[in-house]
Amino acid sequence: MPLRIWREPLDMDKTKVRRAEIRIIKERCRGCGFCIEFCPKDVLEVSREPNEKGAYPPKVVDETRCAFCSFCQTVCPDVAIMTIEKKL
Amino acid sequence: MKAPQSSPKPTEEIRIGVYVCHCGLNIAGSVDCEEVAKFAATLPHVALSKDNRYTCSDPGQELIKNDIKEHKLNRVVVASCSPRLHEPTFRRACEEAGLNKYLFEMANIREHCSWVHLYEKEKATEKAKDLVRMAVAKAALLQPQEELVVPVTRKALVIGGGVAGIQAALDLADTGYKVYLVEKEPSIGGRMAQIDKTFPTMDCSICILAPKMSDAGRHPNIELLTNSEVTEVSGYIGNFKVKVLKKPRYVTKECTGCGDCASVCPVVAPNEFDVGLATRHAIYIPFAQAVPSTYTIDRNLCLNESFLVCDKCMNACERHAINFDMLPETLELDVGTIIVATGADVFDPTSLISYGYTKFPNVITSLEFERLINAGGPSGGHLIRPSDMQIPKTVAFIQCVGSRSAKSGRFYCSNVCCMNTIKDALLIKEHWPETEIYVFYVDIRAYGKGFEELYKRAKEEGVTFIRGLPAEIIEDRRSNDLVLIGENTLRGDLYEVGVGMVILSIGIEPQQGSEVIQRLLTLSRTSDGFFMEAHPKLRPVDTPTGGVFLAGCAESPKDIKDSVTQASAAASRASILMAQGKVTVEALTPIVDAESCRVCGLCARVCPYNAIVVDKELKKTEVIEAACAGCGTCGAECPFDTITMRHFTDDQIFAQIDAATEQDADKKIVAFCCNWCSYAGADFAGVSRMQYPTNVRIIRTMCSGRVSPKFVERAFSRGAAAVLVAGCHLGDCHYIKANYQTQRRVEKLWKKMDRLGLDKNRLQLAWISAAEGERFASKIKEMQSIVDSVGKEEIEKSKTLSKEAE
Repeated sequence: MPLRIWREPLDMDKTKVRRAEIRIIKERCRGCGFCIEFCPKDVLEVSREPNEKGAYPPKVVDETRCAFCSFCQTVCPDVAIMTIEKKL
Repeated sequence: MKAPQSSPKPTEEIRIGVYVCHCGLNIAGSVDCEEVAKFAATLPHVALSKDNRYTCSDPGQELIKNDIKEHKLNRVVVASCSPRLHEPTFRRACEEAGLNKYLFEMANIREHCSWVHLYEKEKATEKAKDLVRMAVAKAALLQPQEELVVPVTRKALVIGGGVAGIQAALDLADTGYKVYLVEKEPSIGGRMAQIDKTFPTMDCSICILAPKMSDAGRHPNIELLTNSEVTEVSGYIGNFKVKVLKKPRYVTKECTGCGDCASVCPVVAPNEFDVGLATRHAIYIPFAQAVPSTYTIDRNLCLNESFLVCDKCMNACERHAINFDMLPETLELDVGTIIVATGADVFDPTSLISYGYTKFPNVITSLEFERLINAGGPSGGHLIRPSDMQIPKTVAFIQCVGSRSAKSGRFYCSNVCCMNTIKDALLIKEHWPETEIYVFYVDIRAYGKGFEELYKRAKEEGVTFIRGLPAEIIEDRRSNDLVLIGENTLRGDLYEVGVGMVILSIGIEPQQGSEVIQRLLTLSRTSDGFFMEAHPKLRPVDTPTGGVFLAGCAESPKDIKDSVTQASAAASRASILMAQGKVTVEALTPIVDAESCRVCGLCARVCPYNAIVVDKELKKTEVIEAACAGCGTCGAECPFDTITMRHFTDDQIFAQIDAATEQDADKKIVAFCCNWCSYAGADFAGVSRMQYPTNVRIIRTMCSGRVSPKFVERAFSRGAAAVLVAGCHLGDCHYIKANYQTQRRVEKLWKKMDRLGLDKNRLQLAWISAAEGERFASKIKEMQSIVDSVGKEEIEKSKTLSKEAE
């Protein structure tokens, strides 16, 4: 058997992992879904409540999964989502 | 280079010399050799028959040579050990006396007779006579052959870039040969790179390995192929064609190893090199001294899939060394020799529930220990308890975890763990002298140079050795301290020892994926799963496949010194071949008789090597001799008896069957065994002195695919009670897939027997590998009951019916 990797790495607390805070401006969203589709970590999903435009903006499922790549911010045509560094 | 078919001159009288060897008492102990020799003298064509103590000795060989000249012998039969051992010796002797070496035949009366019938002298002697009768019958029909000489490509492939692979590659490269060093990980270095110190000299492992790694990386004759795997091997000794899949690193050679990319990579994961005790990023270098020192992107972790989501590393890299468009490449290499140095894995102790590994945080493995005690490791060289990051005051080592035990299913000794633990205990004493250390062991094996001294030193420094492994480890929930409970087998009392940390001294096991290499190179593995050598004493680094050699833990668990020694040995064996630049291939290829061939193409269809070209227009069937490996499955397939398999002709095999069934056929088993696996398995049963019934008569063919249905029918028509066809396991065939033909033919025969109203149990098919002596012995024992159950009527019926079928 190859080695079993099961422990939390001992240097986990010392490793600088940048955490993001995801901000969604619901009213700007036109519901294209790009942010949800392209998120490599599946952090987002469609929310159930429509906004004033009748679009369904994204909703954060689990922010701790976010790798802070900011791709959602890059692909959003409506400047409706952004990631900023969370101060720990 | 076709063999002269008609010589010796047809008119020449056949004069066979028979030599029955005592092999000291190895044969003479249970076979009356004198009587066998006397019997041989009565056989047709036998001009002289002698018995002597050691036929393989110089005087023994001289005797044969003189007799050939003096008595004008033109065939020689030696009844002694396995042809797999001494056939080359006697063939050389014949050649030296001017006799073509294909006019020599052996009767295996040691591995297949005296050693497996130790307590039945009379029956063993009768069997030996039969075996000699069979060999003489074949010898009378032997023809001289000329061997094909093929060139050897002066390039080598080394599979595996651990210390053994590195050493072998460096030795070959320094000799002047081009070497391809294939490693599946992103860096060479292997297990030795993970270890902190080496025993018994306490050298820093990476400090002595790193210079060798960079030598290998820089050597003009070595082409390093990391992140690569061998996917296909074809060809034969001296002329292998190898396909290597080179997976992309996504980082070009422009990389300087500065690490700017990793510091911005958002993905964090456990580093396999540190056994998961430290972190790495998706773009990473496994360890600081890695060769090549180029970073790698782990695409399983990287955020980028088919499109770029994250370009942080690309932006950070000043030299623009990151390229996500890199594709896997398949390289085609021509090499003459191959060295297998694929290394080993370690035992996963999770399955031993009573030790609580993965349940109790402070139970660690010896490999985790190496990373913890290493100054470059995740804890900076501090032996800390994973539960609270404190240095433990008492430590226990448990030996033989995954070695020498039925519980783990690993019966062999892993060779290095005793000394590794002693070294580890001394390292703890060196850093934290106050630590109390207990070692729980079965036996301490300190057998090597400087080992006993190190063991003594550990005892002097106050390490407590307790004989008897703990039955159970119990954890205190609050403190995560551990209590070991067991029996001290020297004092005969029970112990209960409380410690802060337990280190499981885990065993070595075969590398996962060994079966792929085994299949690609048609190697054999022992029951433990390690690769088998051609001969355990005299050819320890050769494999049964010509031109392929073994080094390091791929062959068996061993320490660094032994791995390096073996690597140099393997390199030297490969160099001998390449220095000669040519090698002769045994003359076992088929000859197609152009006149009787009806160009049906059946032979070409079953050839595993595509070595037969059928031209229907020109009405010609041609054998490409260099591509043919000589399995003989074409000969077994040909319905018109057009194909003559040199040295294993139909007539020769018929003669062997007839000789085997001349007396008491109705009590006998005629066994057809392939040279590489089943015959070797029967040899192994002999070497291991496994006793089985005396009534089996083995006929050797190169492959079970050579066994034509008509051989089996002949045996039955001669009144044999049972027939065994034995070959390599399906998928392990030394001729790629020729044994599937065996299976098909035997199944056809079963159907036919059914139709003719014969008991089809009398024909058995078995897959027996070279390591499965036990399987061979038990197969024969099992078949004994079939032989006993076959009545006279049944025998008579098969005699007439099979004859009709013919």
